[in-house]
Order: sequence, then C-alpha cells, then structure tokens
Amino acid sequence: MTLGAEAVLSLAPDASSAKAARGLVSPGQWPTLGANPQAVWGECQGSGAKPYQTQVDLSGPSFRCTCPSRKFPCKHGLALMLLRAEQASLFKNADAPAWVGEWLASRAEKAQKQEEKQQARAAEPVDADAAAARDAKREAQRWARIEGAAQELQRWLADQIASGLGALGTPRRAAWQTMAARMVDAQAPGLGQRLRDAADGIGQGADWPERLLHRLGLLQLACEAIGRRERLPPGVQADLRTLAGWPHDKAEVLASGDRLRDHWTVLGLAVEERDDKLVERRVWLQGEHSGRRALLLDHAYGGRGFEQPWLGGTRVEATLAWFPGANSQRALADEIAAPHGEPAWPAARVADEWQAMAERVAACPWTWLHPMLVPGAVPLRTDAGWLLVAEGRALPLAVNEAVGWSLLAHAGGVPLTLMGEWDGRRLRPLSAWGGDGLWLRGGE
Amino acid sequence: MSADPVWGSLVPAAMVGTERHPLPKAVLSGPVGALLDGLPDGDAATALLRVAAVLAPCELAGAQGRPWSSPLPPPAGVESRPAPTDTVLLAWSLRRGPARLQHQVLAALDAQGLRLPTALLPLALELGRHSIALRAPLQPVLGARGLWLATQNADWRFAVGAAAEADDDLRWAEGSLDQRRDLLRAQRQRDPAGARERLAASLAELPARERAELLGTLWTGLSMDDEALLDGLRTDRSREVRQGAIALLVGLPDSALARQAVARLAPLLQPRWTIDAPAEAPPDADGIEPVRPKHESLGDRAWWLYQLLRQVPLGWWPRHTGLAPAELLPWALATDWAEAIVRAWRDLLSHDPQPDWCEALLDHWPGKLLRDEPASVLALLPPARRERHLERQLRGGTVVLSTSMQQVLQSCPVGEGLSPSMSATVADALLDAARRNAFLADHGLRGLLPELACVLHREALARLDAWPRHADETPTLVELLATMAQVTAARRALSA
Repeated sequence: MTLGAEAVLSLAPDASSAKAARGLVSPGQWPTLGANPQAVWGECQGSGAKPYQTQVDLSGPSFRCTCPSRKFPCKHGLALMLLRAEQASLFKNADAPAWVGEWLASRAEKAQKQEEKQQARAAEPVDADAAAARDAKREAQRWARIEGAAQELQRWLADQIASGLGALGTPRRAAWQTMAARMVDAQAPGLGQRLRDAADGIGQGADWPERLLHRLGLLQLACEAIGRRERLPPGVQADLRTLAGWPHDKAEVLASGDRLRDHWTVLGLAVEERDDKLVERRVWLQGEHSGRRALLLDHAYGGRGFEQPWLGGTRVEATLAWFPGANSQRALADEIAAPHGEPAWPAARVADEWQAMAERVAACPWTWLHPMLVPGAVPLRTDAGWLLVAEGRALPLAVNEAVGWSLLAHAGGVPLTLMGEWDGRRLRPLSAWGGDGLWLRGGE
Repeated sequence: MSADPVWGSLVPAAMVGTERHPLPKAVLSGPVGALLDGLPDGDAATALLRVAAVLAPCELAGAQGRPWSSPLPPPAGVESRPAPTDTVLLAWSLRRGPARLQHQVLAALDAQGLRLPTALLPLALELGRHSIALRAPLQPVLGARGLWLATQNADWRFAVGAAAEADDDLRWAEGSLDQRRDLLRAQRQRDPAGARERLAASLAELPARERAELLGTLWTGLSMDDEALLDGLRTDRSREVRQGAIALLVGLPDSALARQAVARLAPLLQPRWTIDAPAEAPPDADGIEPVRPKHESLGDRAWWLYQLLRQVPLGWWPRHTGLAPAELLPWALATDWAEAIVRAWRDLLSHDPQPDWCEALLDHWPGKLLRDEPASVLALLPPARRERHLERQLRGGTVVLSTSMQQVLQSCPVGEGLSPSMSATVADALLDAARRNAFLADHGLRGLLPELACVLHREALARLDAWPRHADETPTLVELLATMAQVTAARRALSA
C-alpha cells in the first residue's frame, strides 16, 4: 500500500509534528533508505553522532524509531513515509537489515500471543451467575446516583430560569462551574460537560440566548428521561448512560455489540487537540456493501498516538461492533485488514441526508455530530463567512482561513461531493471528491 | 433562530426570569403544537424548560440550511499547463525556504511549462501578497485555478489581471499595475514612441502612485523624443512624478533642463578645482525647492547645491574637468561641500550606474555622509565587476567575513546568482570558516547560510557536501545546516 502525502500527515499526533516531518523530507538527510513489501526503513541524520533508525511496518502502518521523541509517530517516521509517498524511487528494494527484521518478527510473535491469550480467555469457564449479580448491583447503585444528580440539576436549572439568565455575571458563572463539578462527583460527568459547554457559550455571538436555551432544553430533556429511564426502550437507556458519561465497556461491545464485516470507505477524519494534551480522533466510515455509516471515536494522551491507524480516503476491510443505542453511530473496529484497493465513494442525495439526520435526532436528540454527504456542493467565501451551496440552499461551514482557502482552491467553483460533520448549526468539512480528485482536511 | 416566533417568545422570559416575566403561551399548530399543549403542569420555570426541551430536538431535526438564490461565481477556467508530479521539495521551498529559493522554484516551474499544484495555491498567493518581488515569477505559474482563486480574496487582487495570453490593449485596459508596467517596458524595447504615446494618453486618468511607477518605464529606450512629455510632467501635481521626470531629463544630457543646470553650475566651479554653493535659491521653476525639508542635514546653500548637482549629468564632470571619477571623488570629499556633492552623485548613479563612478565611490566610501550601504552601490555594478570587487575584498580579509557575505547577498539581485568562480571563492571561504568552527559563535554569519546556498552556482554546491561537522554544534546550528542542506537538495532537483 502506498499512502499519499496528505494521508501520511493525517497520522501526525499534532500539527507541530507534521511541520517538523515536512522539514525532514530531504534525501540528503537520509543516508540509507530501503523497502520491501512488508516495511520501509531508513537512517536519518539527527543532532547526535549516530543516525536514528526509523522503520515502518506497512501492514499498520506501525512506526518505530530510535530517536528520543515522546511523540508517536515521531517526525522521522512521518518523514520516511512522506519520502516513500513522493519519491518512491529513492528506496532500494532490499532484504531487511537485522534491526528491521528483528522488529518485524517480534511484532508477528506478539500478535500471535495476543490471539492465543484471547482464545484461552474465551475457553475459560466463569461463574457467570455470581458475576452477573455483582455487576447488576453495581449498576443499580450507579444509576441511583445519576438519577439523584439529574434531579438536582433539574431543580437548579429551574432556579436559573426563575431568576433569569440575563444577569449571568462572573459569580454566577462560577456557580455554573460548581454545578458542573457536582455532576462529576455524582458519577455523571457527561451532564457536567454539557453544562460546562452551555456556560462557555454565554455571551458568544448575538444569538447566544437562543443557543443557551436550546442547550438547556436538551439538558432538561436528558434529566427527565433519566428520571423515567426504566419505562424507556433499552436503546434509549443505553444512550442515556453514554450521555451521563458512563462509558460502555469496550470488550463487552466487541463481544456482544451489533457486528458487521464489510469493506469500509474512510469518508473523513477529524483530529482535534483538546485541553491537557488530549487528542480526539473521529473516523467516519461507510460500508461498501451495507451502506451503513459508523463513527470510530478515540482519544490519545500526551502525543502518544492512536492504537489503530486510520487514513482518510482509504478502503479497509474490518468488522465493526456498534455501541448500544437507539440509533447508535459509534462503533469499535476489530479484525482490521491492511488498507487495500480503491475506496468506493458513495453516491448521496441531499434530501436523504437530511432525512437520515432527522431520524437520528428523533432516536437520540443528544446526538452531537452527524455525518453529512452533500453532492453537487460549491464552497464559497462570502461577506457572511464560508458557505457551502447545494441545491439552492446554503450551509455555514466551520473552517478557519487556511482550511477554507485550501478547500476553495481544490474546488475552483466546480461542484463536488463534500463530507463533513454537522453540529446542528455548521458543517465541518472533512473530505471532498470530484473534480480534481480527493481533498482531505489537513492538520490545523 | 430569533426569527422563530416560539423561541423569540421564550427568550425574554428566560432572560428576565419567570419570577418577573410571565411565560407566554406557545402558539404552534400541528403535531409540535399538540405536543406542547400536552406537556405536564409544573412551575413556570420548569414549564419554560420543557417547551425548550421539545423545541430543541425539533429545531435540530428540521435543519436544512438557508435558501440561497444568488448566482454562483463562474468556475475556474481550463488549465493549459500541467502541474508537477513531485511536489515535496516544491512545497518545502515555498513553506520554509528563503525568499530567493521561492523565486527560483517558481521561475523553474515556469521554465518547464508547469503550473503550481492546486494545494499550494493559497500559500503561494499569500507569499505574493507579502513580497512584491515574488509576484513576477508567481504570475505565470498560477494557472487558471490560481487566477480564479485570486478573484475570491481581496488580499490577492495583485494577481488578478487580464489573462497572460490577452493582447496588449486588453492587458493595458484590464491588467494589474505590475502587468501594465511589464507591458510598457516590453513595448519600450521594440517601439519606444508607441509606448510613450500609450502612457501619455492614460496619464490623466491614473492615480499619482501609478503615474510615478509607470513613468519609470521610460528609462528603457530613453531618448530626446521623450523630452516634450517629460517637460510637461515637471509641473505634475505629484512631487514623486515631478522628481521622476527631472531624473529622466537629467538622463538626457542634451535636454534643456540638463544644459541649464550645467550653465548654472559653471560659474560656481573654478578651474583646478574649487566649488562654491549658490548664494541664493535658484528660481523654483527649475525643480529646485528653496526650502529645506525639516530634518535635512545640509544647510540652506548646500541644499540648493545638492539639488542643482542632481540635475548635472555625471558624464559632464570628466569632460569638463579632465579628471576621472577615481580622481573626482577624493577631490569632492576634500571640499567644504562634500556631503552635497557625493549625495547628488550617489542619487544620479541609481538611474545612470556608470561602473567607473560606482567603483570610485566604493573605493572612497564616504562613510556616514551617505545614508547608504556599499551593498546598494555594488548592486549597480555589472556582475563581473561587482564580483571582482567582492573577491578582492574576500581575499584581502580587510572586511569582516559576515559583512562581506552580507554584501554578496545584498548586491546580488533576487533571481540572479553568482558566477562559478565567485561561487567557488564564497564556498571555500565558508568551508574555511566551518573548519575553524566559526559558525558556533558567529550568529550573524551562520544566519546567512541558507540564503548563500541559494546564490551559489550549482557547480559549487558540491563543495558544500564536504562540510566539516563538529561534536559541539548547538541545536540551532544543526537546524540551520539542515536547512542549508535542504536548499542544496532543492536546487539540485531544479537543475536535474
């Protein structure tokens, strides 16, 4: 598999790594470069006397480098892949040197051990009844605490509305932060986060009162739903658990979730740096045969990179297991094969996209982001900001100047199909195809 | 959202507080209205939150964007040039390379009949926005997409103009200032009278800045046929235009203005040789301003002399005095009016860069009397004589290496490079400094390395491969050397 330069850069843990990697894409800095069908490797002259040994297992791709960087993948690994993408002729086809061969062998061994372990665990008999009883008790306790928190939040919200939102000075905002912290203490951090998001929007933009009411309305709905949780369908109950910030166990999702094997087109990829060196990655997939869409949501801390590599504009065979929910988008990927073949870019109709979005909202009103495919779309820069025009309607685009101009340059006024995340107000473009080929939102 | 009557009616109650502002009854028909009517009873605040709880999901589910009826801009035209396939070094050069390298890669693209890849267009236009020097090589490689993109951003207007293929009249009518200047200069070379008439016909409608800029094109193919137009411009509204016209007239030694200036100077200059300044201000009509500007360092009489000397063509001096420039400069510096004289001569050299005069000025550099650096005079010399001067200076070792290297760069116009022999001298001087590990401490010198790698002749680039490395190099130095190596790699790729 050969990745394009943009795809390689989308693997970067942050913008500064991508920038540093670009600076290393010079054959002069790589005294040796080699490749075979499994891996590419090279030695990069760094500031030390001994060059860094950088290697990439192409089946991932997985990176390894002898440099001391904590970033993963490091700039050397990225630069190596960039060189491979743009100047493949520099790589001599060769047998892997010992330092490459040993690593590849150890990786294969590790993978095998992992598989054996899993099989062994599956075969292990467990006292199912006792474990289930323990789990049920723990769950009931946590739900009780969340219900208490929701009641408290509902009373508090009513107090805010009774005394008015107009006088939200600094001391009252501090009260909002305190309330959010109480939600975290009551094991409902999801509610706390939503309250904090609402507080952050206060005073932002001319229409903030409407948007604040909108958010408080959704919180009110969440609190009431939690109160009558037991009368709601299991899917909605699962959504409420997610909403409260009580994550579903991944192993359980993989074992008992709704599973589907397909060839997945990576429609778009969003990587956002958040506070505290936390990086969030959202990968949007569409099944080639099933037509089903899915979201892979991952977090990485301290520039450590993500466990599974996903690249925009590739085609990957994998089994997805969906999280429980009324109309869940989020899934986990399992049994992932190496990217292979041309991705199948799905056709779409604007009306169908809006309909699907409305159905998702109806099933789970707290759905935060919706994947949208907009065919026949022309990006524009207007006095009112960046817009996407399609079929006589305009959507505001969530882009900064750099991304906006990059998209506009790619489109050149010619309609294309654009994939983005709709947050209820704006569309954040992640990829576009048609015309000049594929456009991928780069790191920011 | 506030256009919505339902949200609009909730906001006042929520902002003021339901304790003081009653919650209006929501009036909505259809299923949503029925749902609102059926909400359970509660206190006013909870009732308001429940209405919001119904409306928020409905609003989310009903989103479809805003209606759009304005016409869309026409799409970009069809490209006539292909884009390069290998863009790594090109992208690096534009993103991180020195300005000279950017100039070189753009010129190389043009020479190969290629255009910029789409993904680099916003970056390239942004570079052109900040660097006027880059606009000339940028323009031909923008392609149809780049020109289209420039029309979408007011900051990139400089690149918007008539298509490069359009005929002269259309480009003159619709082109950018840069395009019109290039057009006029080109026409001056083959048809000076036609270009003059084209400019004369448009002068009345041009703003002052453009008049002054385009007037400069008359230096190409300047002749006595231009005198009438230039004489007329001596009374232009703009000071810049008036001064430009006078400079051009001085460039014509037979012009009435130049002859009048010589006649005025003659009585002030006595044989074997003494010079005096005018005792009173010459009449204003001569383009000589009687009143000194506020911060002028010259006195009144020196100020008048300076302006008068600016109107005397340089060629007159050796003819009249029988002295060569190399003799005239020491003479001038020994007079009481040294500053007025050398400043006037330096000004004249800008348009009439006679090599003997430039070299004489460099050899007798008047120091602080000129608000100028030797590099700007070096830049006026033809490359061979400029390099001879610099090579002598480098070999002589009388000037600090970083100063010499700075002069090498400053006197070498962007878009040009050094000769093979000069390049070898420069490369050897740098390698010698590297062997002494001089770059560790000399921050001024090492900062020049990436740019020096841009002007070296490509035959000399190979010499840099033998760059001696040291164990105690600092991270900054390592990074600079890597940048230099990258510049070298990019330049090798250009000539491959």
